[in-house]
Amino acid sequence: MSGTPILLADSVTKRFGANQVLTRVSLPVTERDVVCIVGPSGSGKTTLLRCFALLEAPSEGRIVMQGVPIATANPDRQVKSAARAVRSDIGMVFQHFNLWPHMSVLENLIEAPMLVKKMPKDEAIAIAEGLLKKVDLSDKRDAYPARLSGGQQQRVAIARALAMSPKVLLFDEATSALDPELRREVLLVMRQLAQEGMTMLVVTHEMGFARHVGTRTVFMDRGEIVEEAPGASFFDAPKTERAKRFLQQFEDE
Amino acid sequence: MFKYQFRWDTVWGSFDFLMGGLEMTLIISAITLVLAMIGGLIIALLDMSRFRVLRWIGVSIGEIVRNTPILVQLLWVYYVLPIVFGIRIEALVALIIGLALYQAAFISEVYRSGIQGVPKGHREAAQVLGLTPIQSFRRIVLPQAIRMTLPPLASNFVQLIKFSSLGAVISVSEITRRGMELSATNFRPLETFTFIAVVYFFICWPLAMGIRFWERRLQAR
Ligand SMILES: Nc1ncnc2c1ncn2[C@@H]1O[C@H](COP(=O)(O)OP(=O)(O)OP(=O)(O)O)[C@@H](O)[C@H]1O
Ligand SMILES: [Mg+2]
Repeated sequence: MSGTPILLADSVTKRFGANQVLTRVSLPVTERDVVCIVGPSGSGKTTLLRCFALLEAPSEGRIVMQGVPIATANPDRQVKSAARAVRSDIGMVFQHFNLWPHMSVLENLIEAPMLVKKMPKDEAIAIAEGLLKKVDLSDKRDAYPARLSGGQQQRVAIARALAMSPKVLLFDEATSALDPELRREVLLVMRQLAQEGMTMLVVTHEMGFARHVGTRTVFMDRGEIVEEAPGASFFDAPKTERAKRFLQQFEDE
Repeated sequence: MFKYQFRWDTVWGSFDFLMGGLEMTLIISAITLVLAMIGGLIIALLDMSRFRVLRWIGVSIGEIVRNTPILVQLLWVYYVLPIVFGIRIEALVALIIGLALYQAAFISEVYRSGIQGVPKGHREAAQVLGLTPIQSFRRIVLPQAIRMTLPPLASNFVQLIKFSSLGAVISVSEITRRGMELSATNFRPLETFTFIAVVYFFICWPLAMGIRFWERRLQAR
């Protein structure tokens, strides 16, 4: 853990109209970090992740990548071009997969590398096939998303994000839309990525994953970071009353 | 009524004449559909434009056309446009313009709901992966939108086949007009118009059934 963080939320405030959803949130993410963000519903976890993904612009504060601002409240030309330059270095996996239904699995994977990176088709296919093997879906190469189970779709979505070789991968409740018996296959892929050193920012309700795979746990409530602790210590010794109350609902898991 | 002597031979005797009218009907409907698809695209683009004036024009055309009777619009195109522009418009051209404008207003809505029917998440996934808005529209939104708009466009074709009978009022020689002419000479409106209704039905009904089947298949995907 040294040097400038690869990705940083710098005192980010986000309002939707009069509704203030994030209040001066600062969160550095260093290389190989697996930051797990937990907290009650409506606490602003998704919004924070969407700010990192450049899907929402902060109302105040900045998103900074490797020292360069890529999102501000009033982005100037420099910030905008910096954002374009690092756009595909930040990947995101959505709760509802968001695979493109009119394309086969392989087409989903090669679309962005070919359009954005101008990669030749055979090279994109070679990379895609490698990634499908990694998420154990080689046999689904030519299937359409509607033919796959939720767990398979989410693994394709992860492979699609990896196809752009991002430096950071954001996960927004990647397993919440899945039946319990399908969650494991997705969590295993995520754990494998973490072990390979992928820098990850993971919003999750899977406390087991946060405890055993996360390097850091961030607890959010009402738009603020309330507590932050390395690895399992957040679960073993929560410091705040709010965190204790939050953790109680998982006790029988 | 029960003493009525059917004389279907008066219809069979003019079969070719009526079928020539049917051919006209189908040609008018096909040409009009193509024009209406283009017109609908223009109105939809105006509706979604960044510029307020263009949006206002698009919305106005749509609202006016959708909220006045199609027959009045046809009469307007046929009788008023020539006065305003000082040109003569052939009845056939007036019919095609009038019908195309009318259908374009509805087709623009079809396009719009097709585009808006593509979930926002699909575009966001493209955005995060680095696709530009134009790339995302062309590769992600449009192919899905087109698939959703095909059945409604086919339904519009069925509607056009029926609406084109209004051409009879401005003496366009499609099948309904020819029926009117025939019954004026053979004095057999019952046989003539029954035959014509049956012809319309057996063209429109299978098409409508096919479209319903097609839509259900698309929804199942
Ligand atoms: N686009 C938006 N417009 C207006 N309000 C929004 C928007 N997105 C989120 N919000 C509001 O922001 C607050 C935080 O939402 P957010 O989705 O970030 O919470 P969350 O922590 O991800 O919750 P959950 O665990 O239920 O997913 C909520 O009150 C929500 O209604
Ligand atoms: Mg959320």
